[in-house]
Amino acid sequence: MTLAHAPAPARPTRSPLVGYLIRRLGTSVLLLFGVTIVTFVLTNLVPGDPVAAALGEGAASNPQTVAAYVERYGLDQPLPLQYLAYLGNLMQGDLGTSLTTGRPVTTDLAAAVPATVEIAVGAILVSLVVSVVLGTLAAYRRGLVTDQVVRVVSLVGLSVPTFWLALVAFNFFFLGLGIAPGSGRLSPQYTPPPTVTGLYSVDFLLNGDSVGFFDAMAHLALPVFVLSLFTIGLLTRFIRTSVLEVLDRDFVRAARAKGLGGGRIVLDYVLRGASLPILTVVGIAFGSLLSGTVLVEAVFAWPGLGTYAYNSATSLDLPGVMGVGLVVGVIYLVVNFVVDLLYGFLDPRVRLG
Amino acid sequence: MRSTRRIPTLATAAVAALALAGCSGGGNSATNTEGGGSGGGSLVIDTAFSIETGDPGNTYDPTGNMVAKALYETLVDFEGSDVTTPVPGLADWEQNEEATEFTFTIEDGHVFSDGSALDADDVVFSLQRVQGMVDAKPNFLLSGVTIEKVDDETVKFTTETPLLQLPAILANPALGIVNSEVVQENGGAIDGSDDAQSYLDGESAGSGPFVLDSLDLTSQVVLTKNEEYTGDEEAAYDRVVIRNVTESATQKINLEGGDTMVAMDLNGDQVSDLADGLTVDSVPSGQTIFLLVNQDPAVGGVTANTAFAEAVRYALDYDSLLELAGSGATQATGVIPTSFLGALDDGVTQDLAAATAALSASGYAGQTVRLQYPNDYPVGGVEFTPLAERVQSQLQAAGIAVELAPAPFTTELDAYVNGTEAFSMWFWGPDYADSANFLPFGPGLKVGLRAGWTADMNPQIAELAAQAAAETNPDEREAAFTDFATAMQDSGPFVPLIVPGSNIATTDEVEGAVYNAVWTMDIAELSPAS
Repeated sequence: MTLAHAPAPARPTRSPLVGYLIRRLGTSVLLLFGVTIVTFVLTNLVPGDPVAAALGEGAASNPQTVAAYVERYGLDQPLPLQYLAYLGNLMQGDLGTSLTTGRPVTTDLAAAVPATVEIAVGAILVSLVVSVVLGTLAAYRRGLVTDQVVRVVSLVGLSVPTFWLALVAFNFFFLGLGIAPGSGRLSPQYTPPPTVTGLYSVDFLLNGDSVGFFDAMAHLALPVFVLSLFTIGLLTRFIRTSVLEVLDRDFVRAARAKGLGGGRIVLDYVLRGASLPILTVVGIAFGSLLSGTVLVEAVFAWPGLGTYAYNSATSLDLPGVMGVGLVVGVIYLVVNFVVDLLYGFLDPRVRLG
Repeated sequence: MRSTRRIPTLATAAVAALALAGCSGGGNSATNTEGGGSGGGSLVIDTAFSIETGDPGNTYDPTGNMVAKALYETLVDFEGSDVTTPVPGLADWEQNEEATEFTFTIEDGHVFSDGSALDADDVVFSLQRVQGMVDAKPNFLLSGVTIEKVDDETVKFTTETPLLQLPAILANPALGIVNSEVVQENGGAIDGSDDAQSYLDGESAGSGPFVLDSLDLTSQVVLTKNEEYTGDEEAAYDRVVIRNVTESATQKINLEGGDTMVAMDLNGDQVSDLADGLTVDSVPSGQTIFLLVNQDPAVGGVTANTAFAEAVRYALDYDSLLELAGSGATQATGVIPTSFLGALDDGVTQDLAAATAALSASGYAGQTVRLQYPNDYPVGGVEFTPLAERVQSQLQAAGIAVELAPAPFTTELDAYVNGTEAFSMWFWGPDYADSANFLPFGPGLKVGLRAGWTADMNPQIAELAAQAAAETNPDEREAAFTDFATAMQDSGPFVPLIVPGSNIATTDEVEGAVYNAVWTMDIAELSPAS
């Protein structure tokens, strides 16, 4: 037996990507922990009695009802204990019970988040497509009328108040032209599809219901249009600047010198070269989209996260506010994580390890 | 050249996509609904949701009451918008002279939506269930009431103190009668361990004109006609969709565009310029917006006296304030709104000389007074900020310096309830349809104490409030409430301002929409226009 000469077993090497993922996950958990502390402290700093806010005049004057309510929601415990209890439940996926709806916050969020994701994702896709076209066009036509028009459109998109735009667009396209449907996610005669993803458009497709799908898409059109206008304005300006910077670079000149077609130069050289700053702004824009949904959801009677956040905040519903804070935090982290991953994909010089 | 062609192409494509989507979605769903918009088809109602559950025993909000009224019958009812006279619902009743014993006899023939008969066991279970759920909002309605079954058709109520308003209380939809067998099978209990709410959020178990099809607390409630219904309010529509539309501007656009048939939350300005083909039922609501002048010197300082309240009362131009409230609103003639028993016929009119005299007597010497109010909670479409600004302006003209101190409702509520506001603007609405709801304005009572007004500060009004509460003779009761309201106007710390209007707007396809202070609107009373 010559074990001493046997080669040592090869130590499994961890890929840089796995290490990166582990580090990002750890950071994300810490960030979410911070989100819970900040949200908890801020919500409790607001002067006001959540019991009186939730029960209303009549019930709040009944000591028995108040006592039972306080005990049921653990509001009689000191704040640190309330927070620790919240964290303990959070570890088990329990976000608590909403003081206003009386349902688990996870149930409320499971209904609200897909509604917001549906318009937010739609808006970011529309914004990306339109602003890439407009931004590139403006850069290519720098200083000409087209450039001026695009810059004005971009400025208008950034300047117009979302709430006002939503009302005007609803009034114009629905009431005036009659080409858009009324408010809500579906027309009243339709029943929501069986829930798979919570995205009506997708769930109708999965259910093989094309009529419902088109109705859901029709109701998406205006909220997406309104929500995307600000993002279009933001992205167009960045894309124009980024494209302008790339247009004078040597590799673009070389491509032209080789006789490549204009379309190929734009797609393979210019946009790819300008993609990193664009990607960064898209990540930021997605965050601003989420804040914009509060107003858009109110006008279009869209039962999403913005509506839920507003209702929770105005009724001092601590578990509801905490739940929204966590979800928004998670969405931000996921978006930023995806952006970081795409950096490495789009530019091989960027190494995640 | 390519770029100039692309812009119109893109624009055309966008409009075409929108048009295609609009056509497929059906912009005029009210007329495209299954069965049509009239003749027993579908009805669409837009309202700002406050609903928290489909369980009547846990319901205590306007939308919840409206839904519960459609799903469950109550022992007592009201006709139309008249909430002054309770009428038999499921049962007729007799009471003793002291108003401490009430015997209800259930009308024959009422059945639940599963076909089973409704009897005294169901009544006793339903009401004792509410009494057992101490954390349920409507629990206080039956405080101090003993409920017992006499026989299958008879239920007896005994109260600890005279309670002439018990029939009015029993008309509250929260006290709707549920199918006791079904509810008990699904967690219902009277001992406080009730767990039937989640079941009743998915299915109804009542004898009302509708049954629950689906309940989504954030977007819509769908009701369908109860085919087993035997009462006298048979549903005229097979399907009713009640949608959550929080923005009144959106409700108006939906109504004018034909996407809904009823809009329940339009404010006075919005109903004043509705398009042709729409009708509005504008009536005063049961709410009262008032000013509070705290009588506790430690809180109110120099303004802590009723003379200052009197100065404010006479300094205001009520017609000018009413301009901000729009259709349906009226001046508050006292702490009891005009639609309730004992309300005063006429309110105060501006009298600057009287205001100056009262101000002089109050000891006020030009100090700036903070007016606190909730700035994010319009009542009946009346926004508090412009109203407070106008009050500030009018008081300034009368020599009273006012600084506005707005805050969010949930923040300000705490200060109001705890009686720490020196001068504030708030509102009060009835918990049930009886003038006894307004006695808490009296000294030493709930709202009075919020104004730092204890019983010993005005024993005469405290006595008037006690007399009104105890009076059991209907005629003398009305006089007692009137005396109370008069005394409050003469020397109380409150300045009633406005009774906001309630506006229910409908298309001309629908008739029968009537505001009711208890359940907002009885959906079963709506029908296709003839």
